[in-house]
Amino acid sequence: MDLSFSLYLPIAGNSVNVLVILGLGGAVGLLSGVFGVGGGFLMTPLLMMFGIPPTVAAASDSNQIVGASTSGTFAHFRMGNVDFKMGSLLLIGGIAGGSVGVQIIKVLRQLGNADFLISITYVLMLGFVGGYMFLESLQSMRASSKTQAESKSKPESTYARVIRSMPFQMDFPRSGIRVSVLMPLVLGTMVGVLSAIMGVGGGFIMVPVMVYMLRMPMHVVVGTSLFQILFTCINVTIMQASQNHTVDFVLALLLLLASSVGAQVGAKLGKKLGGEQLKILLASLVLLVMVKMLYDLLARPDVLLAYMGGH
Amino acid sequence: MIAYFLRFACVALLLGLGMAGPALAGEPISLVSSPSNILMDATYDGTTLQVSGEVPAGSEVALRLVGAPEALHLREKGKVFGALWMNIGTLEFQNVPKIYLVAASKGFEELGAAGASLRIEGLRDTITQGHVSTTQGLDAMYELLRLKVQDGLYAESAQKIGLSEDKGGTRSFTTNLSVPSALSPGQYTLEAVALRNGDVLGTTSVPVRAQLIGLPAWLSHMAFDNGLLYGILATAIAVLSGLAIGMVFQSKGAH
Repeated sequence: MDLSFSLYLPIAGNSVNVLVILGLGGAVGLLSGVFGVGGGFLMTPLLMMFGIPPTVAAASDSNQIVGASTSGTFAHFRMGNVDFKMGSLLLIGGIAGGSVGVQIIKVLRQLGNADFLISITYVLMLGFVGGYMFLESLQSMRASSKTQAESKSKPESTYARVIRSMPFQMDFPRSGIRVSVLMPLVLGTMVGVLSAIMGVGGGFIMVPVMVYMLRMPMHVVVGTSLFQILFTCINVTIMQASQNHTVDFVLALLLLLASSVGAQVGAKLGKKLGGEQLKILLASLVLLVMVKMLYDLLARPDVLLAYMGGH
Repeated sequence: MIAYFLRFACVALLLGLGMAGPALAGEPISLVSSPSNILMDATYDGTTLQVSGEVPAGSEVALRLVGAPEALHLREKGKVFGALWMNIGTLEFQNVPKIYLVAASKGFEELGAAGASLRIEGLRDTITQGHVSTTQGLDAMYELLRLKVQDGLYAESAQKIGLSEDKGGTRSFTTNLSVPSALSPGQYTLEAVALRNGDVLGTTSVPVRAQLIGLPAWLSHMAFDNGLLYGILATAIAVLSGLAIGMVFQSKGAH
């Protein structure tokens, strides 16, 4: 019955059900439009479940994210939610950080136990970021419902003073902030290092960094994050295709058609939600991923051998 | 470089198969597969080979589709600090067939030593492991075979082959052999083994070639021989599709 929906993917070396792949793409695209994350953390393991080899799943997914984040960036751009200036600076930092991260991985592998460090960093990072975001947005949701005027009289924090005293201050009118040029460059580099080490796109770390360290408004964060992810994934896709031959374009095309639609719907959905609601939902998602990772670490795998590649 | 090596490997395989062709031991064994080659187009989703032939009277038969021995590098998972499961090393195996599908006319345990050696576990004799596992006492070969069985690439099915009554000095057999969708293009060998009283009476084999055709063939050629162009095209199409879908939604929103 489902014979007519099956499609053979030559690079993945397996056949898939087109409807399943479209469904996956749509769902992950929706998340990416709402939260400004690439969704690789979800897509890659799901594709592996459907018989796609890990290396092909990861590479084709980055190809897919190119389409979805183009669509998402476009949607957010029309709503005035993309800070190109900030995004470009973060991107420059991210690319530099990515190359540093790759070198760090090499050294770690030589020292041994690299995978252990990576897994632990991942879980701690997700737990910390998710937990902090969750509590913070919960607090501010409560606070705003009680008293709205209180926030104005807050004393300036040490962090804010340090940021203000940094050199090369620059205006970012789209985000409505004024920070030193060094901030996005340094933070971008740090996220780049981390995402190269952990083998993920970095949306998950970049979004909280923009919210809490650059203090950008949540809606601009989502659009700017997608803009940045777009370029990161273009780079990854071309590298993977030319060096490892692991990009399955048919798979990516199916995913991206569905996820671009999902991203559009997601962007509109996100607009309807408040910034705090967005944050708390994203925090829950981050915590969910962390629990899943922790479970994978603690539960005995069914088979004690695994194919190379993947996250 | 890799392409040259692959070509060389294909030629070597073809030569090897050519020599293994006809039946051994003078016993009349024949084997026909329909289709004789597997064509993998965009709608390929695994296939069924109709296999038939003849074996000497009074014998049982086993069939196996084996192919493309390759080196396999796998990650070994083990416990770190007594609690956390993670990758603790890599293991290398040589001579691992990509596919191993075996069927028999009787239960394998009824076919004696010869039958046992045809089972998936029998691959322990031909697959070699590069070095010992990091975890002491891990039966890595067992894990490898389980991984392949889970992927549907290794399978055994007993009592699946229909045998007719003896007629003259022979009896005929027929069966359907299902080939998984995760088949790689390449050269495979379909082999019939005639067994009697736990001994192998004779074998014969035919080559089965799995080949990409149509869109998959073109894409595979692009991806492997023109990787950079393929990558650039893939991203360009992704960007254009993303924009196009964005436009569609914009025009919808305007109404």
